[in-house]
Amino acid sequence: MYLIEKDKVMTIADELAKDYELFGPVVEKGTGQVFFNRVANSGEINLRAEIPTLPPKATVFPQIETIMKYRYDKDTKDVLIDPVFSDRKKALFGLRPCDLEGMICLDRFFIGQEFVDEVYLEHRKRMFVVTNTCVAPFKQCFCVCTDSGPDAHEGFDLNLTEAEEYFIVDVGSEKGAALVDRLGLKKAGDEYRKIKKEIVDKSISLFEEIATDNKAWISRVMNRITTGFIKEEVWEYIGNQCFECGACSFVCPSCSCFNIEDHNKFDQSTDRLRSWDSCSFEGYSNMAGDHNPRKPVEDRRNKRFFCKLSYSQSKKYLRPGCVGCGRCQWVCPGDIGLPNVVTYIRKEITE
Amino acid sequence: MSENYSKVITIPEVATIVEIKDEIEDVKTFYLEFDNPEVEKSFKFRSGQFVMLTVFGAGESAISLPASPENDRFHLSIKCVGKVTNALHRLEAGDKVGLRGPFGNGFPFEELKGKNLIYVAGGIGLIPLRSSIVHALQHRDDFGRIIVLLGARTPADLIYQYNIEEWLKIDGFECYVTVDQATPEWKGETGYVHNLIEKANVPVDNSVAFVCGPPVMFNSVIDELMKRGLKDDVILSTLERHMKCGIGKCQHCAIGRTLVCTDGPVYSYRQIKTLGEQI
Repeated sequence: MYLIEKDKVMTIADELAKDYELFGPVVEKGTGQVFFNRVANSGEINLRAEIPTLPPKATVFPQIETIMKYRYDKDTKDVLIDPVFSDRKKALFGLRPCDLEGMICLDRFFIGQEFVDEVYLEHRKRMFVVTNTCVAPFKQCFCVCTDSGPDAHEGFDLNLTEAEEYFIVDVGSEKGAALVDRLGLKKAGDEYRKIKKEIVDKSISLFEEIATDNKAWISRVMNRITTGFIKEEVWEYIGNQCFECGACSFVCPSCSCFNIEDHNKFDQSTDRLRSWDSCSFEGYSNMAGDHNPRKPVEDRRNKRFFCKLSYSQSKKYLRPGCVGCGRCQWVCPGDIGLPNVVTYIRKEITE
Repeated sequence: MSENYSKVITIPEVATIVEIKDEIEDVKTFYLEFDNPEVEKSFKFRSGQFVMLTVFGAGESAISLPASPENDRFHLSIKCVGKVTNALHRLEAGDKVGLRGPFGNGFPFEELKGKNLIYVAGGIGLIPLRSSIVHALQHRDDFGRIIVLLGARTPADLIYQYNIEEWLKIDGFECYVTVDQATPEWKGETGYVHNLIEKANVPVDNSVAFVCGPPVMFNSVIDELMKRGLKDDVILSTLERHMKCGIGKCQHCAIGRTLVCTDGPVYSYRQIKTLGEQI
């Protein structure tokens, strides 16, 4: 544990910017919306900004990216295949613990399984992550229920916690230790453990009742979803509120379904594009010949909640697929953000 | 398995179409050879697995493997139904395609030794089963009765007829064929394929059934097999889903808690029942 004066905290970002492309929470001028964007310098970063509208998922898993280029000359029969991998070094500064947890889910899903997704790996392996303990949850946050906040436990290189005069700096990796060393940060006394705990406790106390109240229910709801003891009517009720807009998947830090399309260009070459997809779209499971095994909307909705809240998927993430950021609740034009779905199922259990 | 995947699995290997053969209407067989001799030599697969086929300029599709894993010319038999397969059908011998794989679990042949093998196929459902049939016939002595029950809409929709004629010369191979709509020239059975199960006097003890065909056929065949006394764990099927990656990442092929690309495409009916989704 180390300390850095409040007005000096950005020297960490400045130091990182020497080696890395710097990303951080930025309050957009005019709209006041918060985005987790690439910045030209650390001055643009606002560590007190609200939760970013979109998770920083795009830094490891861009919304659209070219994973391969090829050119096939039909006359000469020559094929040129050119795989495209990222070699960029990115530093994420001021990441929320929930968003980090989402990225850990993606790591385990893309890298930790039988097959390794090289495209993802190349984005991820050069990354430096600085998390920021969340002291200002927003109304729909419920990371306290999903064990992903308000402070980060693992997976960061450095973690910041804003105290009275200092930021408390936790080191989570050798890379982080080397940076702290280079900046010559001073060691924090033992009393700062207690101070940090108080800060975290105070943050937890700010959560809405619905979030703290649902805490024990997540695991019970997971059990129900896994064992299939949920009445069809409940899924139907949930499905009926789905507009099939896919927004929940796009703002989710751990949703990672993708589509692959070949995009032909005028110069006779083709880009193979990988782009975000959502299981709520009707065409998602449609096969050639127009056979779609997953027709009714509740069937498709059910898939996403199954993915977030079932043991079989948790085996891949080694935790619930939901990290409690609350964004789906925020964007859903119906009323089926994940906390609400938990509440509906909870109601069914208690009735 | 790992050495197969030491190369980057998202990048296809280039293969040449050396010959194209018309099968039935809308179905062609493409004989392929890898351009890289090392890949051509090391490419191994099991019956029931699939590959991801790239048609340059059109996209990529999951395609089942009809060739036997050994002593059979490598080929793919493909019906034109969508964007990629239609583009493929426009290609000629000498054209290039891309292949990734093989992917999926395949049929558990090690566990099937000594058993009677019953293949029930509807229409082009015979394509993914062909690999396993040829493989079983190549090791004829390892198995009991080998029965193929084949149904199709019309006599013109019966695929691999020349293969079946060959196979019939092999001792102990039985084949029963039926069509839904007979033509005046048709001398064989008329009706649905599940009616053949009784006619063939399908053995129940020590038997394994392989079922592949359109969803409507699937249910009636399973019913009939179960009625005869086959247990749900010896009825195997290979499922089809929309796929984008083949390696368990895009999640398009999720059924229940499994992914067809990595946990399938071969499932037992016992597993299928627990998936909680339609086939």
